[in-house]
Amino acid sequence: MRISSLQKWFIVGFASLLGFTLFILPVIASSIYSFQEPGDKGYTFKSYTWLLDQDGFFSSMGTSLKLAVLAGVINISLMVPTMVYLNLKGQKFKSLVDFICILPLVIPVVSLAIGAQNAMPSFLQNSQYELVFFFVIIGLPFTYRTLDTSLQAISLKTLVEASRSLGASWIRTIIRVIVPAIRGGITGALFLTFALSIGEYTITSLLHWETFPTWTVVASQQNILGAIALSVFSFVGAIALLSIIALFSKKGVRQAEAEK
Amino acid sequence: MGVVKAQRRVRSRGLGTDVLPLLPFLFFTGFFLLWPVIAVTLKSFKGNDNEWTLENFRPIIHGGPYFHSFIVSIKLALITASIGSIIGAFFAFVIVTYVRGRFKNVLDSISAVFANSGGVPLAFMFIAAFGTNGLATKFVRFLGYDIYAGKFTIFSFTGVVLVYTFFQAPLMILVFQPAISGMRKEWREASTNLGASAITYWRRVGIPILLPPFIGAFFLLFAGGFSAYATARALTSGTVSIVPIVIGALVDGNTQASQTNLGASLAVGMIVVALVIMIGYVWAQKRSARWRQL
Repeated sequence: MRISSLQKWFIVGFASLLGFTLFILPVIASSIYSFQEPGDKGYTFKSYTWLLDQDGFFSSMGTSLKLAVLAGVINISLMVPTMVYLNLKGQKFKSLVDFICILPLVIPVVSLAIGAQNAMPSFLQNSQYELVFFFVIIGLPFTYRTLDTSLQAISLKTLVEASRSLGASWIRTIIRVIVPAIRGGITGALFLTFALSIGEYTITSLLHWETFPTWTVVASQQNILGAIALSVFSFVGAIALLSIIALFSKKGVRQAEAEK
Repeated sequence: MGVVKAQRRVRSRGLGTDVLPLLPFLFFTGFFLLWPVIAVTLKSFKGNDNEWTLENFRPIIHGGPYFHSFIVSIKLALITASIGSIIGAFFAFVIVTYVRGRFKNVLDSISAVFANSGGVPLAFMFIAAFGTNGLATKFVRFLGYDIYAGKFTIFSFTGVVLVYTFFQAPLMILVFQPAISGMRKEWREASTNLGASAITYWRRVGIPILLPPFIGAFFLLFAGGFSAYATARALTSGTVSIVPIVIGALVDGNTQASQTNLGASLAVGMIVVALVIMIGYVWAQKRSARWRQL
């Protein structure tokens, strides 16, 4: 017994040490670095304030926010009805949709971007809003899983039958009955698409648009400290955002189970 | 009358109306996902004067820098997926075996954050930590080891490996955990009752069961490492010649048809590699599912 508990402490201790060195240390190191005065002369907010003065900081951030919100909304409006149908009557199409939704993870994003350069009609190519559609595509694998899990956690069929037999239309049923029942999953899917879109670089840069990530790379060529500050800021932001998602989606499932 | 008849005809075909609610989804993915893939494939078979040709694939197959970029990409994916899956599997084992309750939720969320962190910010954070004057570099130097004594720089292939491991290992923790939690206590007890030692249990029961999901997760990590672009691009400004960076350079600001066609053929090459990986992944998934039904 004593040997096995010693072994346990050894393994856990080793794992903690390894985890700290590999994952926590780089985050701490870069956070401290981002507050450093150039030339090791103490600490300052200079790198952060430098950012605010740069051309394109607010405009590129605005663009990114706008595109990410749109992508999240379109993703949800497209996928909620689709997933409800699949879990209700369209079971036989489920494997097809599942397969399509896995594709964005399989097909290299670079290839998709090169394809988009050739395939999109010119009115779309001339507008930055073309990015929104590809952000939706990139979000599909995650939206599919999240919505599917939360739809399976509720008694969908009973809810729909009750609502329909009380005379509600399909649209009303989805908006007033199903959406509230799976709001945890929807919030999760929305935030995930939003987070992915905010950080998307590959397609954006290959299609030559300026969003926050591409602007960061350009800005880094003038001031690497500024780019580091920006990165620390967005990484910590991502941690906050994804923690909210984790909280919401866990809560959503629990709520759904309680309602069952 | 005619309307009723038409309705009946549609209904009797069954599939016709059944697929209607899926049309928005099918149109959307058809236009923004499948059509670009088809377009890039078609383009890869087009020559300078828009004629059909296999010329674009010649530089990829017959050695040279383009062939080499595939080797670099596959090497990068192999190394980072190997390191990431081994480290990640170890962490997954420790988390499943020794961590309970709320702290486990916290660790899961942190893993999710890190697994999704691949991108531009990660590159700059690693420059801050492991650059020539980075704080982690200084800290390690303080402990008596200079990582810059040899040929290492964060902007090299080895640097990219280091950064990729940072998101590959947490991804492994996420995808491999279910497999470990799926191990039944009864299996262990049964083998102990039959007189097996811990080593025999792992050799004859544990590893054979965990191997398919491990391989599956490895393929997933491989696919991620193979197609990642942003981190390597921002970190090395395009000096490490993995395929996505080569494609980016070919297509960026280049209006020459031969160059963009070559870019398209490289992109198709990436899709082919990714599909091969996917077949391996699906095979591993099927093998893993066998044990879940017991």
